[in-house]
Amino acid sequence: MQISVKLLATYRKKLPEGTSGSTCLLEVPTHFVVRQIVEKFNLSYDESNVVLLNGRVAEPEQTLQTDDIVCIFPAYAGG
Amino acid sequence: MNGWQGKILRINLTDQSVKQEDVDPGFAKDFLGGRGWAIKYLYEEMDPTVDPLSPDNMLIFATGPLTGTPAPTGNRYMVVTKSPLTGSLSNSNSGGEFPTWMKRTGFDLFIFTGKAPQPIYLWVNENQVEIRSAVHLWGKNVPQTTDLLVAETNPDAKVACIGPAGENLVLMAAIINDKHRAAARSGVGAVMGSKNLKAVVVYGTKQPAMYDEKGMKKLSVEISKEVGEGIKAGSSLREFGTAYVPQVTNELGILPTHNFQSGQFEGVDSIDGVALKEKYLIRPKPCYRCPIACGRLTKVADGSPYDGEGEGPEYETLSALGSACGIDNLGAITKANYICNELGMDTITAGMTVAATMEMSERGLIPDSDIGKPLRFGDADMLIELLEKMAYRQGFGNTLAEGSFRLAAKYEHPEIAVTARKLEFPGYDPRGAQGMGLLYATASVGASHMAGDVAYAEVFGVPENIDPLATEGKPALVKRFGNAFVSIDSTGMCVFLSVRYIFDPDLNLWPTRLTELMNLTTGAEYTPESLIRAADRIFNLERMFLIGAGFTGKDDTLPPRMLLEPLSSGPAKGYVVHLDKMLPEFYALQGWDENGVPTKEKLEELNLSEIVYS
Repeated sequence: MQISVKLLATYRKKLPEGTSGSTCLLEVPTHFVVRQIVEKFNLSYDESNVVLLNGRVAEPEQTLQTDDIVCIFPAYAGG
Repeated sequence: MNGWQGKILRINLTDQSVKQEDVDPGFAKDFLGGRGWAIKYLYEEMDPTVDPLSPDNMLIFATGPLTGTPAPTGNRYMVVTKSPLTGSLSNSNSGGEFPTWMKRTGFDLFIFTGKAPQPIYLWVNENQVEIRSAVHLWGKNVPQTTDLLVAETNPDAKVACIGPAGENLVLMAAIINDKHRAAARSGVGAVMGSKNLKAVVVYGTKQPAMYDEKGMKKLSVEISKEVGEGIKAGSSLREFGTAYVPQVTNELGILPTHNFQSGQFEGVDSIDGVALKEKYLIRPKPCYRCPIACGRLTKVADGSPYDGEGEGPEYETLSALGSACGIDNLGAITKANYICNELGMDTITAGMTVAATMEMSERGLIPDSDIGKPLRFGDADMLIELLEKMAYRQGFGNTLAEGSFRLAAKYEHPEIAVTARKLEFPGYDPRGAQGMGLLYATASVGASHMAGDVAYAEVFGVPENIDPLATEGKPALVKRFGNAFVSIDSTGMCVFLSVRYIFDPDLNLWPTRLTELMNLTTGAEYTPESLIRAADRIFNLERMFLIGAGFTGKDDTLPPRMLLEPLSSGPAKGYVVHLDKMLPEFYALQGWDENGVPTKEKLEELNLSEIVYS
């Protein structure tokens, strides 16, 4: 199934080359969970990162569905 | 004394007399410095019902004990006064270089009272104090004023001044130091203008003494090193400045859009940190002795009407002059930012006042003839034109110069103004960040993220990621962040460094390392407990000032849009701010009664009884 992955701020450079903007589309197997997306981009699921699923705080073992948006950015403040 | 210089300067502008005064060491410790010392002087010496634009208002420039020390980001000062915009307290904060040089004159605080008969400026050159005519500077903008003052005082002098906006008593006038840094909110520039005080110029070489200089330098180097490692690990502030934030708040559905009618902006990709870096960034710019360097040195040179150069824009500016106004032209937003710096205005209040005008114009609530023509969201050229009119109180600018609350009241639609205590909301829609809603409703200055930015946790995951949509635990969180920010504002540090690097990395926000920095510098033997108690003391004295000024628990509230109109789209769809679920618990945690008044027991616990009841 297809989902979107948004990597913001300094993580934007981890997106596949040629991606325009902060979002890339990804084909993933059914039953894929949020944690596996984070790992796919060589990031850690801990307090150094913020991981959102469709704009809400995500749990690592949440199962993904078609057209979901996973967003990851480093946990540094502020503005 | 160590850390503190132990001296304040009192300037009576009416009779142009200047007095140096020693600081009592006991009070010094109990009120930390900076914001804490300022409220003590203000509370004890000023009637809280004064007209903020009258000579009776006190204007205080306050450095902290860590200002001008090797502490990384030990470079901040506060401007504390009664606000002409809100009728409440002002606690405006700024960095750059001015605060360090002010501290090096040998004075911790400058306290201004009265009003000069003609425009003047204060020149503090080491410990020599002069009041000089500023008649030749009146009418000049911030960069012109700064350059002229440096030329007629000392090439290494630092300047804090007002532009035309402050001179014209515009209620969102700011005090701009080092040309591009702002003590912006609450109309502090108008207070300066009402006193005919055009500028404060400082030069000094008296470094603050340190109790344990070696230990202080060692810890400072250790912290700076950690910041460097953080930057390598992905911290975005140096690479993008705070301009990386629109994508984050947009993703959460809380980026102020069209005067807070929605929380997601179609044009966000055009106004983010990547766009700023690619198009206009020259290089990052740090405040003095800051290892982060979030400042942006920028230049717009498209050959467009938006050409210019300066510093910024920051996140709040991208929100208030950008998405809140429906504007996605980054060049125009950057130019509008330069104009606010040059004329001396708060970008948040200025932008949000125009945003309110745009909504009212679109709804037919302001006659086109009043504005000059119809005003719609997205009209960047009108935004720029109106900003200039506001600074000079020309035409419709005279109405806008009073801020969005008075604008909306004038046209009999008070529900359009997105303010708390008449202060316009910053860039986080609280319907999608409940803790921010509680903060906006209860902070001493009104709706300010700088009063205790729980968005660090609700939005940025610092020190831990928490659910922005939950109300549970938010009263305690807002209290802890509030006290943390009081301690940062009072010691002279910057919040960007502090929350991550000098508080414990959990939601208790325990000031372990800040206590260490304070003790190495001052030798005052704080514990984290006594430091937080001092912050609590300061915050409650501010609360007593508000009560004296006429505020009650009824003013701890938010506009109907926040309490009654749910966000209609995005991840926070369907949410309002559930203030009623949070406020009673917040009052209880603070030791306030059901009307939001600190109890006798609370004041006694904080040793405030004598100050408050005498």
